[in-house]
This record gives sequence, structure tokens and C-alpha cells, in this order.
Amino acid sequence: MTTPPSVKPVSLWDPVVRLTHWSIAVIVLMNALLTEGGGQIHVWVGWIGMAILVLRLLWGLIGPAEARFSAFPPNPRAAISHLATLVAGRPRDYPSHNPAGALMAYALWATLAALMMTGLVMTGGATPMQIDDQRAAVALGDWSVLVKESDDEDSHKPGPWKKTAKEVHEVAGNLILFLVALHIAGVVLESRAMRRNLVKPMLLGAAKSKVRK
Amino acid sequence: MTETDPSRRRRTIALSIFLLVQVVAVVFFVGDVVGDLRENPGSTHFIFEALVTAALAVGVFLGARALNETLAVMRAQETALAAASGALSQVIADQFYDWGLTPAERDVGMLALKGLDVAEISDLRGAAPGTVRAQLTRIYAKAGVSGRAQFAAFFVEDLLGAALPEMRPG
Repeated sequence: MTTPPSVKPVSLWDPVVRLTHWSIAVIVLMNALLTEGGGQIHVWVGWIGMAILVLRLLWGLIGPAEARFSAFPPNPRAAISHLATLVAGRPRDYPSHNPAGALMAYALWATLAALMMTGLVMTGGATPMQIDDQRAAVALGDWSVLVKESDDEDSHKPGPWKKTAKEVHEVAGNLILFLVALHIAGVVLESRAMRRNLVKPMLLGAAKSKVRK
Repeated sequence: MTETDPSRRRRTIALSIFLLVQVVAVVFFVGDVVGDLRENPGSTHFIFEALVTAALAVGVFLGARALNETLAVMRAQETALAAASGALSQVIADQFYDWGLTPAERDVGMLALKGLDVAEISDLRGAAPGTVRAQLTRIYAKAGVSGRAQFAAFFVEDLLGAALPEMRPG
């Protein structure tokens, strides 16, 4: 690792990190609270979310240093000791996410991935366009598009896979809201302890202040 | 001082949004290709679509790499600018030393270079305006310049000429 001796915290996350962060936040809130589960919009939004997750994970491999996974490896022990310093007083700075924040990022990504995989199983992997096409055809009275599905063993009764996927999808849907709440609480607590606004670097950064001294 | 050109910053944001749209397209196309793969993998439609999708995916990858490089260049420029301003203050400090300025005169000279007038300097230093004026006069005398304008010009000339020392990193 090439961490400099005096660690400077991120003063402004790069645009890809910021964009994926806030768009995934909007998408989680939309699909958890606003859209009808299993509905057309829900599936569309889910697929867009999948693309955002793909971009963020790609960025974790080829992005700038502080956005890469190598800058914040999952380390539960470091996360716990970081939380201990948080309780005790002023925690130290990290060049990327702090260890607790890093664990949160991985937990959120894993939950998102679980939501998307199970969502795909539930819809049979059909893209929103295919689902729309099918619906349009059925609306015109052409039921034959559904025949192929009837050949599958699981068209009338949801098979065990789909059932399990549905349950996991629901649990993960609640889990992600819980994680989001925990994430926000963590940012608030951390900002207080560090006496530094941690939201700013994720938004527009400290535009007027000097970028790194 | 070390802020990036806002138009460049805006361009990287626009590029990021473009990248995100591309990734959305790739993911939808991949879903479509997988769907076709399960239906009739031999069709020309499938082959063509798979090729287009693969090309788009490679494009996204290269776009992400290019964006990352742009961000790295911007960062390097910020660092270089910081190094240059650090180097200039080193040049000034060295010159003050050469002229044999006292510590108080060095402070006053630095404030004068930063554009503060006599009243402001005296306020800042808690000194009488007369004292500051006298110090400035001595500074100009030691530097061999006629007044404030020539005093400032002395360093601008340094900055424009080849007198800048090697850039110190960080």
C-alpha cells in the first residue's frame, strides 16, 4: 500500500463515486417505498440499479486510488477498533472509507446484489423490455407469448426457486432499509466525532476551500 | 489557490453521467442477449446483437479508464500548482533573507506583498501606522526599490523569468 505518512481524508469524492452513491440511494428509496413490488416500474428501476452497481464495482477495480477496493479492504477487526476510538473520542483519519464505513459499503453492495439476483430469478431473467412486450402482446389478445413459459415447470405454481427468491428478496428489502438507516446514523456520529462534515465530500465538496493543503 | 478549473470539473461530471448511461445500456443489452441466447442462439440477430453489446461493454471499460486518467491529470495539476506556490514563497523568503530584513520587516514585507495597506498591516500587527510606514521604507531601501509597486514587481519578474527553483513535490 502506498499510504502517505500523514493521511489526508478525502476532501471530495470523484464524480463516479458521487453519482453512483446518490443514484443508488434514490433507487433504493424508490423501490423500497414508492414503486409497487413486482410492478413494471419496480423492475425497470431495479435494472437501472443493477447497472449502477456494476459501474461502482468496475470503478472499484479501475477507478482512482481512494475509490478502489484495495483502499478499503473489508476488515471487521479494524472496524471494531475504529468504533471503539469513535466512542472514546476523536478517531483518526483514513485515506478512503474508515474501516466501519468500508464494512457498511460492502454490506450494502452485498444486499443490493442479493436483491437484484433474487429479483432476476423472480422475473425469470426477463428484461423490462421483454416484460413490456409480453404485456403488450397479451393486452392485444395474443396469449401465445405465455405458452413458452407454460412449458417451464414453474408457470402456474411458483417453483421452489422462485419461492425462496421471493422470500430472500423481501428480507433483503427490509435489510437494506435497516442498513441505510444505520449508514446515515454512522455518518452523523462520525461527522460529530471528527468535527468535520462527511456529507460534503460526497456532495459537491468544499468548493471554496483549498483542496488538500 | 489549488482549485481545479471548474469547467474541467464539470466535464468530468458530464463524462461520469455519460458513463452511467452507457452502463445502463450495456446491462439492458446483456439481459436481452442472455434472453436471446436461451431462445435461438444461432440466429444472425443474436450474433449481431452480442457483438454490438460486447463492443459497447469494451467502450464502457475504456471510457472508465479514460475518465480515471483525466481525474489523475487534474489531481497532478492541483499538486503542481501547490508546489509552485510553495516554491514562490520560498523564493520570497530567501530574497528577504538576502536583503537582510529583520523578522518584523519580513512579516511586514510579506503582508505588503499580499496586498494589505498600511492601516491593515498596523491593525494586524497591533503596531502604530507610523511604525509600519517606517518599516516599509526600510524594506524598500534594503531592496533597492522605489516603492510598493516596484517591490511587488520584483517577485512577479522572478515568477515570469527562469528564476524559479526546481519544483519541490508536495
